[in-house]
Amino acid sequence: MTTKRCTQCILPSTFPGISFNDEGVCIHCQRYRGRDAAEKQMAKYEQKFVQLLQEKKKSSTYDVLVAYSGGKDSTYTLDVLVNRYEMRVLALTFDNTFISPRAEENIRNVCGALGADLFIVRPNPAILRKIFSTAASRELYSAKTLERASTICTSCIGIIKNIILRTAIEKEIPFVGFGWSPGQAPVQSSVMKTNARLMQSTQQAIYKPLHEIAGDAINPYFVTSEQFDHPEKFPWNVHPLAFLPYDEEKIVERIKQYGWEKPDDTDPNSSNCLLNAYANQIHRKRYNFHPYVWEIANMVREGVMTREEGLEKIEPPEVEHMVKYSKDILDNYS
Amino acid sequence: MNDTLATIRKFIFDNFLFDAAEEDLGNDDSFLDQGIIDSTGVLELVEWLEDTFDIAVDDDELIPENLDSVNQLAAFINKKANPEP
Repeated sequence: MTTKRCTQCILPSTFPGISFNDEGVCIHCQRYRGRDAAEKQMAKYEQKFVQLLQEKKKSSTYDVLVAYSGGKDSTYTLDVLVNRYEMRVLALTFDNTFISPRAEENIRNVCGALGADLFIVRPNPAILRKIFSTAASRELYSAKTLERASTICTSCIGIIKNIILRTAIEKEIPFVGFGWSPGQAPVQSSVMKTNARLMQSTQQAIYKPLHEIAGDAINPYFVTSEQFDHPEKFPWNVHPLAFLPYDEEKIVERIKQYGWEKPDDTDPNSSNCLLNAYANQIHRKRYNFHPYVWEIANMVREGVMTREEGLEKIEPPEVEHMVKYSKDILDNYS
Repeated sequence: MNDTLATIRKFIFDNFLFDAAEEDLGNDDSFLDQGIIDSTGVLELVEWLEDTFDIAVDDDELIPENLDSVNQLAAFINKKANPEP
């Protein structure tokens, strides 16, 4: 049976909380204010970032700590922070033990070409794989979280966000940078001071389930209570792709000059992670919608890609040998 | 104020609680303690506040006291709409 989808974006009728009008347009498209309003917001937030930079730059060894996966979006983020905003960048790569070999080469090439220092965090694989294996077998997070990513991805990204924050605090770096695509996070959050008390509360949503699985072994990746007592040391968040023009083809063309090449062993929605296809397949079976559909629908709505291009990313089944690769590894930890 | 409360409750149910029953959320219940809203959910909440009530939420206003329940949100919106002279 064909799934009913919004006639403007690609959100399906199986998406949590969705409703449609008589024309088949979803509630999210009905609320959308249009491209002109979005572009005004983008200009406003870039201006906010540029003003902040003037105040905060040169206050420490590095201006910004970037969460660097080696994928195209975080590569482009690294590029704009180095070249457009002339920031001194420390890239941090979290090795989740499923990074594509081609992505590892991209990380080395790009950091070398851009002159960025690279800090690799490689946790004990057994701990991470136990977490991913558990996430593959049962749900760990709230219904809301499931709109935006699979349970496996949410676990991984949750650790990354926290290790990035903790490292920035320890190294007294004034900004943390993320390569969220325009569909992943709203422009209103693209330049935002990390509020320590709010972060302390929200951190529990990820820390508690992961601690139940892995115990104190995960503590080194989370902000400590002593650090939460010093909110003045918390960095500003920036995700510049929300306020800059975003065109996938142009981004790929640009980052190729740094030695970046698209891996051929990852699924259509990732350019670095071998685990993604398996994570997607589990989510699609469990909830009957693709875990990337929210992000892709936002980008279709924003005019970043066509509806057909969006459907191409979320409708084909996951590639079986990619799914099997990760499943076989994680089955050893279940 | 009652209209504001109803608008907030509708947004929370439509976007965070989905099929939950009305009685599952009291107006003083903590979104954070109950795991209703996570860090990205907070950003979505701020986007909605700014768009719906035509207010600008400053970074130093992103604190649990302003955002953590239906009643706290209503009070925050009221304060932003009617700033003290």
